Amino acid sequence: MNAKNVNINPCHMCMPMGGVLAFKGIEKSVVVIHGSQGCSTYIRRHIAEHFNEPVDVGSTSLNEKGTVYGGEDNLKKGLENIIRVYNPKMIGVLTTCLAETIGEDIKRMTETFIKDTGLSHVQIIPVHTAGYSGSHSEGFFSSVRRILENTVIPSEPNGKIGLIIPNISPADIRELKRMMKLFSLPYVVLPDFSDSLDGVYQKQYLKLSPHGTKIKDIQTMSGLKAIIEFSATLQDDLSPGEYMKKEYGVPLYRIPLPVGLRFSDQLISVLREISGKKAPKMLLEERGRLLDAMIDAHKHNAQGKTLLYLEPEQLYATISLLEENGVGIVLAATGSEYSTIAKKEIRQKDRLFTGADFDLIFKEAEGQDIDFAIGNSDGRVLTEKRGIPLLRRGFPIHDRMGGGRILSVGYAGSIQLLDSITNMILDKKLTSYRQQMTEKLLEPLKNGAESRGESYGDKI
Amino acid sequence: MAISKEKLDKMLEVYPSKVKKSRKSHIMIKDGCETQTIEANTRTVPGIITNRGCAFAGCKGVVLGPLKDMIHIVHGPVGCAFYTWGTRRNKAKTEDPAKNFLNYCVTTDMQESDIVFGGEKKLMNVIDDVMEEFNPAAITLTATCPIGLIGDDMGAVAKSAEEKYGVSVLHFNCEGYKGVSQSAGHHIANNVLVDKIIGQGEKEQADSKYAINLLGEYNIGGDGWEIERILNDIGYEVVSVMTGDGSYEDLKNAHVAELNLVQCHRSINYIAEMLETKYGIPWLKVNFIGIDATIETLRNMAMYFGEQDLIDQTEKIIAKELSEIEGKLEQYKKITQNKTSFCFVGGSRGHHYQGLFAELGIETVLAGYEFAHRDDYEGREVIPDIKIDADSKNIPDLKVEPDPDRFRLRIPEKLYEELKAKIPLSEYKGMNADMADGTVIVDDLNHYETEEFIKIFKPDIFASGIKDKYVVQKMGIPAKQLHSYDYSGPYAGFKGALNFAADVSMSFATPTWNFIAPPWKGEPLLDGKIEKGAE
Repeated sequence: MNAKNVNINPCHMCMPMGGVLAFKGIEKSVVVIHGSQGCSTYIRRHIAEHFNEPVDVGSTSLNEKGTVYGGEDNLKKGLENIIRVYNPKMIGVLTTCLAETIGEDIKRMTETFIKDTGLSHVQIIPVHTAGYSGSHSEGFFSSVRRILENTVIPSEPNGKIGLIIPNISPADIRELKRMMKLFSLPYVVLPDFSDSLDGVYQKQYLKLSPHGTKIKDIQTMSGLKAIIEFSATLQDDLSPGEYMKKEYGVPLYRIPLPVGLRFSDQLISVLREISGKKAPKMLLEERGRLLDAMIDAHKHNAQGKTLLYLEPEQLYATISLLEENGVGIVLAATGSEYSTIAKKEIRQKDRLFTGADFDLIFKEAEGQDIDFAIGNSDGRVLTEKRGIPLLRRGFPIHDRMGGGRILSVGYAGSIQLLDSITNMILDKKLTSYRQQMTEKLLEPLKNGAESRGESYGDKI
Repeated sequence: MAISKEKLDKMLEVYPSKVKKSRKSHIMIKDGCETQTIEANTRTVPGIITNRGCAFAGCKGVVLGPLKDMIHIVHGPVGCAFYTWGTRRNKAKTEDPAKNFLNYCVTTDMQESDIVFGGEKKLMNVIDDVMEEFNPAAITLTATCPIGLIGDDMGAVAKSAEEKYGVSVLHFNCEGYKGVSQSAGHHIANNVLVDKIIGQGEKEQADSKYAINLLGEYNIGGDGWEIERILNDIGYEVVSVMTGDGSYEDLKNAHVAELNLVQCHRSINYIAEMLETKYGIPWLKVNFIGIDATIETLRNMAMYFGEQDLIDQTEKIIAKELSEIEGKLEQYKKITQNKTSFCFVGGSRGHHYQGLFAELGIETVLAGYEFAHRDDYEGREVIPDIKIDADSKNIPDLKVEPDPDRFRLRIPEKLYEELKAKIPLSEYKGMNADMADGTVIVDDLNHYETEEFIKIFKPDIFASGIKDKYVVQKMGIPAKQLHSYDYSGPYAGFKGALNFAADVSMSFATPTWNFIAPPWKGEPLLDGKIEKGAE
């Protein structure tokens, strides 16, 4: 925990940010943020810049009057208008610091709205996402949980496997789906923003993305054969899978994100167990290729030292990959204060920091020899001030292209991540090698010759 | 392509009737034969996906954020601080790099218990931390939504911190819900800057006779530096810039200037007016975007000071600047001419960039502002007619009096009146006057209307913000982001115009647009032919 009061250069964002990301993965859904319109504008702006995609979020535009007399009227109007213009299938109503501080009862308000209007074709999901109750990571999972709580109905077994994901990239989601297909296992990914936040160019622009998890598929998640939730560091009461287990008895496997060899193996083991099938040949080949890459890279990686700051799930999984290949971890940090990552088995527990900000990262990195850092774009100051190169991972990446296309999961993704890491180390080594060798070997030779009264230049 | 009233009406039919009526009053088809009015600075319709931000965004994000030698503490939960961290591309340099705090995002990061039990103590502790770590000459405290609601008295904390440390600690009650857009936040920031900073310096007069302040220039992509370079070449002394690359130290002595230049009228005209009342500094509406506008501005400034050496030097620099870009614009114009644009930006650029577009042969067919007031559209003469509604009343109006010691008429009243007839002294005629008949002016353009207007007008380029940029590009139309310039700039002045021309041309000319249709387009879907008798 961070002992001081001030947060200087934060490593985390607020809950509604995570909520919007989660709803982006539901077909024909839209979010209305109940609060000042700044919240929706800022969140749209940041998500749009990371993914280079349109991100449309409504606001109830609460002003002073709404703040004093309550915002129900604004919420009602907001819902009416967004339904008229966008015709969504699902609306996420997310609260803000403002709405929570004045104590808006959005559950009752949205229920009243549905009752009064008699609307049946649109589902409204109220989610409490006060900016002070957690980071965007918590906002993400609590929104997914609320989507389930409000949508799932009892249903017959459907033999499908549910994958509940944290805030990973569209490329990661596509990779998980590919693995499921290779296993020939029917699946439901929740939420699935692999298309809506990494869309193909199309002449006809659609206001609401038709892509994402189908609402029908969410409703019938009670009939899933099992749920695999990548939430090893999530507290139970935020876990969507725990809700499904408790409420509908759906078998739940909570495992880390499949980054690195061991965690990818863990996913494959779970899939084998659930399906009774053997791992497909192609995945085994990919495992072999990852192993081969690890053997090739270990001599470089064992010399590397890094610091990393990511959302809890990504952090835990990336630490595992680094440990597997012998990369030194100078410090590992996350902005979230609520994750259970500190209880996990991590080799250098004393170098793990939760509730961190960049001020802490800078201080802890002081005087340390660090080859590179891993984390989002906000760590660019590490490069500017300390000359530590940054391998951009996580969210948000706003000063480079392709944040949504970065792949790190599965054997295939792990190879890409591993290569990127090794190349960061090699890049530093190769650009400074000549100078180091000169200093270490050539200079002493020269000095020795001179001290003997010889001219070193004459000898060579 | 044009739009008729009937077509516009049809477009708005999707809205519920009350919303339709409201939105209609924010949209006008320019008709020079009529006296037209437009609704602006009124409440945003809930649920209509607006581009507007909040009071906090206007106060901390826009006006205060660029002040480089102050630590800006955001009092509230983490989000608002994070979202205003280095997002505007306002550049700054300080002599001592350790006193440039622009890269820092400092917040009290309030948690649930702080909301329940109050955050004053935490705020004071954060000020302690900040003093220990940065030791800045001045600090701002900006409020996010919950602060006013939980009753935290930032003023009291600021006062005790000032007593404890002997530095200036300014507080801004810019909770997001105040007003109807970021415009409220500009006003709140303007009030405090005039009340608490400007005039705190010891200087009684400027170092030279052509001393100016540059107001409403935020140095996005280095615009302010390009403007300053030209002004310095002519012989002006830039006392302070509000607020791009601006500093607390410079601001304190802003009262010594002979003239205030107002670039962004919307965000800063309050300061210009107050400084005129308090110190007698007249203000001139300027525009450094576009070559003709820059020339006109420089000549107006020279005319204000009226001295022949300055007028001569102005002409000399204009000629020099023009010679340096001569002929270079022409190559871009081959690509850009005979095209049309939408120009929808915040509160002034929606107007300023139209001239530059015109110089490139691009006609603006639709324009508007995100958060402007009626005077930005219709000109300042409508100010007395603007109804003050409940939302505007919430923003305190700072009443200033002439400073007994420092008020000084900069030019005789008679000369002032004569000049006023020739140059825009205390005057802004607004956007509408410059727009052609049949073009469309939209206030608070939203996501739905953006798409519909694009379908109707099919513009060649859309100048707007980050949020709507991707919608436009998905429709196959180049978008030029004019809030923070898409990693480019400067666009101000002569050389800036050239940069802009290059960027816009590049968008039109990128080969990518040629690949939208795949080579197999138009070929039959199935290879081979149906055999006879197969049916």
